Amino acid sequence: MTGYLVRRTGQMVLTLFLIITFTFFLVQAQPGDYASFYVLNPDLPPEVKDQIRAAFGLDKPAWQQYLIHLKNTLTGNLGVSFGNFPRPVLDVLAERVPRTLVLFLTATAVSFYIGFFLGKAIAWRRGGLFEYGATISGAMLFTAFTPAFALMMIWVFAFRLGWFPVGKFLDPLVWRGADVSANYVFGNMLLSAAAFITFALLVMLFLKRFGRRVPSVVALPILLGGALVIVVAWTLSGIGGLALDIVKHMVLPVATLTLISFAGTMLLTRNSMLETIREDYVMAARAKGLPDKQVRDRHAARNAMLPIVTSLVYSLIFAIDGSVIIESVFSWPGTGLTLLEAVRSEDLPLVMGAMLFIGTLSLLAHVIVDVLYVYLDPRIRYQ
Amino acid sequence: MTTPVPVGPIPTPEFEVELGRGRVRFVLARLRLMWRSFRSGWGIFMESRMGRLSLFTIVAFALMAAAHPILMAFVWDPATYDPVTGYSFDQVEQPAPPSWKHPLGTDPLGRDVLSQLLYSTRSEFVLGITAALVTVGIATFVGAVAAYYGRLLDAFFMRLADLIIALPAISLLIVLSALFHLNLFYLALIIGVLGGFGGTAIILKSQALSIKVKPFIEAARVAGGGDFHIIFVHIIPHLLPLALLYMMFTVTSAIFAEAVLSFLGLLDLRMSWGIMIHTANTGGYLLGGTRYWWLIVPAGASITLLCSAFYLAGRALDEVVNPRLRRRND
Amino acid sequence: MTDRSDPLLTVDGLSLSYQTRQGEVQAIRNVSFELARGSALGLVGESGCGKTSVANCLMRLLPDNARLSAGRVLLDGQDVFLLTEEEMRLQRWRRISMVFQAAMNVLNPVYRVGQQIIEAIETHNVEPTDTAARERVARLFRMVGLDPQLMERYPHEFSGGMRQRAVIAMALSCDPDLMIADEPTTALDVIVQDRILRELKAIQQQLAMSIIYISHDIGAVAEVTDVVGVMYAGRLVEMGDTADVFQTPAHPYTAALMSSFPSISGERRPLTNLPGEPPNLSDPPPGCPFHPRCAYATDVCRTEYPPQVKSGSHWAACWHPLDVTLVPQS
Repeated sequence: MTGYLVRRTGQMVLTLFLIITFTFFLVQAQPGDYASFYVLNPDLPPEVKDQIRAAFGLDKPAWQQYLIHLKNTLTGNLGVSFGNFPRPVLDVLAERVPRTLVLFLTATAVSFYIGFFLGKAIAWRRGGLFEYGATISGAMLFTAFTPAFALMMIWVFAFRLGWFPVGKFLDPLVWRGADVSANYVFGNMLLSAAAFITFALLVMLFLKRFGRRVPSVVALPILLGGALVIVVAWTLSGIGGLALDIVKHMVLPVATLTLISFAGTMLLTRNSMLETIREDYVMAARAKGLPDKQVRDRHAARNAMLPIVTSLVYSLIFAIDGSVIIESVFSWPGTGLTLLEAVRSEDLPLVMGAMLFIGTLSLLAHVIVDVLYVYLDPRIRYQ
Repeated sequence: MTTPVPVGPIPTPEFEVELGRGRVRFVLARLRLMWRSFRSGWGIFMESRMGRLSLFTIVAFALMAAAHPILMAFVWDPATYDPVTGYSFDQVEQPAPPSWKHPLGTDPLGRDVLSQLLYSTRSEFVLGITAALVTVGIATFVGAVAAYYGRLLDAFFMRLADLIIALPAISLLIVLSALFHLNLFYLALIIGVLGGFGGTAIILKSQALSIKVKPFIEAARVAGGGDFHIIFVHIIPHLLPLALLYMMFTVTSAIFAEAVLSFLGLLDLRMSWGIMIHTANTGGYLLGGTRYWWLIVPAGASITLLCSAFYLAGRALDEVVNPRLRRRND
Repeated sequence: MTDRSDPLLTVDGLSLSYQTRQGEVQAIRNVSFELARGSALGLVGESGCGKTSVANCLMRLLPDNARLSAGRVLLDGQDVFLLTEEEMRLQRWRRISMVFQAAMNVLNPVYRVGQQIIEAIETHNVEPTDTAARERVARLFRMVGLDPQLMERYPHEFSGGMRQRAVIAMALSCDPDLMIADEPTTALDVIVQDRILRELKAIQQQLAMSIIYISHDIGAVAEVTDVVGVMYAGRLVEMGDTADVFQTPAHPYTAALMSSFPSISGERRPLTNLPGEPPNLSDPPPGCPFHPRCAYATDVCRTEYPPQVKSGSHWAACWHPLDVTLVPQS
């Protein structure tokens, strides 16, 4: 198993290297170069133009430029953003990346959970209005034009109902006079979330030692208690209102991304379940007298999950693209919006940096899916 | 195959003609066979409700695309109805709601929405079909070659495909639009190349692998068929049904990608459904909700409908190509 | 509670059909038999003659399109088709367990083999604790000739024979009164087949358990059963003590089936002397279902279903029984 994972990770590192190379030559291939941004100014004397080119390293041969680019990228030097001069690209990304990750991870986790749950339920009880409705609305969500759908969500929930803010990351009115930065509050929110997830995992791990006979009745109050502690801590901290403002802004983008990505998982789960239900071990599980729910969840759905995990890569990449669109519609200042703004203002270093991040995220998704698959399928685990 | 090699006199013209006739007969027989399998496949396709529905939608859109030049030539005055440069002077306020003169109203710049919608339909077809042809052309060739030669060539193309499917396509296109001015043709080409070297190549390769081990390939090789001959005459024709299926999916993704990029204002196109929504959005009309519905609903619905029609056509074709998926009769 | 001399299982006039697109398929027609406690019954016949449907009826594990048109299945005097779904669930495995036909896929590939057996033990509360359940699995593994340490392994690490043993251990795990073995050794090679059969027989006698042994392999059935029933086209056509039936077969079908198996351990030959195929059960022939393939068929066979001819416990449904000691009952 370790061999398999090492090999896959090796491939991923190679792919990342290829992406860096590819982006470099793409920039080389485009008309003009980095410096033309400055050099186009007709007032500049030729010597100054040459100096600028030399400062960018553009007087060197392409292969040397490439090596320099490679070295810089690997040491985290992604250059300076034109649009946010003089902030380094890495600095801009460091601010934006967590926002995208939160949007993306929450939506992915929720949509996978809902999609899987609904998919297995409609496959198990075939026929009837529920299956029909879920399949139709799933197919509609799956094929809906994402920007139009996002705009519709804004119109319904922000304009008509007024439940959530229209877009952006925070409300300036709430933040006026606040003596902490948004990044500070958001960073602490992330820490809290991470702490809670760790806590939940530890509790699960601990309870698992008592065997499967421990009912979830025990786990639920403990987890709720943990959540309560965090909420109380935030309320007492004095910046709870600010955090709440960010959460309010988060709900609609996350919900939209969840809705557009859950349908794929649901339809896939349904198909996969319909195949698995015919397997002999599902029949055997029923013959053993296991309760219906156990047959469905532990035998049918557990195996139906395997092909879903394989195609999870595609769902994740779909969600990455989706989050770029969602960020632009909701003006959510994450990597996707950064990429778009950089593209519009021809801020090439930032474009490259954002693309590098998005590429890395896709590759990480690949690795995570591989690990998950190995974990879920003992036939690969013990090769 | 024991055709004796002609020795002695140089083949006479009659011999050439004979050979030519044989060739014609061979091609005719092949065409007849293809026609027959097409007919049976057509039957299965039309049997499914999905297939009929999708075909109907696609034909309806094709008619819309065909209607535009006719309307422009005979019915509509270009000064008012041109999708890009037209302006409706008789409306007091732009965007104007639907009226007899403008069945779908006008956009914020005073242009007729119906005209824009019909005009864009043609570009969507051109885009989708070009991208699909490029994808399938590349993928069929790559798949057949990778499967036939195997080893290094196979490894190279498959790793390349892995790399391409690991990349989020929309994000990549956004980046490319920053570096190059993308017009319809380049966009179709890029989407086609990405699809052709990406996922479609993997699928067609695995299909080609299952053809490669069939006895008739061995027979062709024993009969002295060269690699080139075997790939083009014996492997690729068997890939075409599956290739057709993936053409449908490529059309869907091409139209979707174009719409998204146009919506983000990154493409260098005259008019498209995405641009129509983009125009409405940048003017802030979309948040007016149902008040300015004609600015978003026709274009948005067209994108969704045409995308899902090609997608459903693909699913229905899937049942033709993969008998395993057909609803069994037991 | 119940008298030991009462039959454990009574199947009375059982008829089952499946609704399909081609119409109603009559999988079982009017099958009746009894099974005494601790005895072994064999059901033989070609594939598709309804043997597995009988087994599924006893477990009440029927697909949605199945319909029980007549008859009862009494387990200890209790009609299984009158139980609620929940009551039936608790009966399964505890009272009747099953060794499935396609044993290769009966074990779920993602769980450890031992765990899948413990799961059944826990469901039916056969053992009070986890530890006791594990010990029980270890005992069962030893009983079927597997190393108890193998319970921590996954199914794909088992050979075909080991999997079959594990499946038998699973079927024994809740001390059932009746075990149905549906083609338990078909997928295995002859030597392993023979060994597992002997062990099965030994275990059955040791636990004083009843067993229904379903197979098309007459040799195997002859080896392990006390009573045998021959099925053809959904009907039970001959039944009696194994020795009686196989020494003096009365029904021509039984004789034809037997002559295709020269001896218990001998080499298998195809059914060369039994031409044709079993009838289509959605449109069975009138009269005796075997008449189209029967060498002795007369006009009466083609029109009327034959009556039972009987001698002691040995009976057959035939107009022209080969064993003339069997006589019609009034």
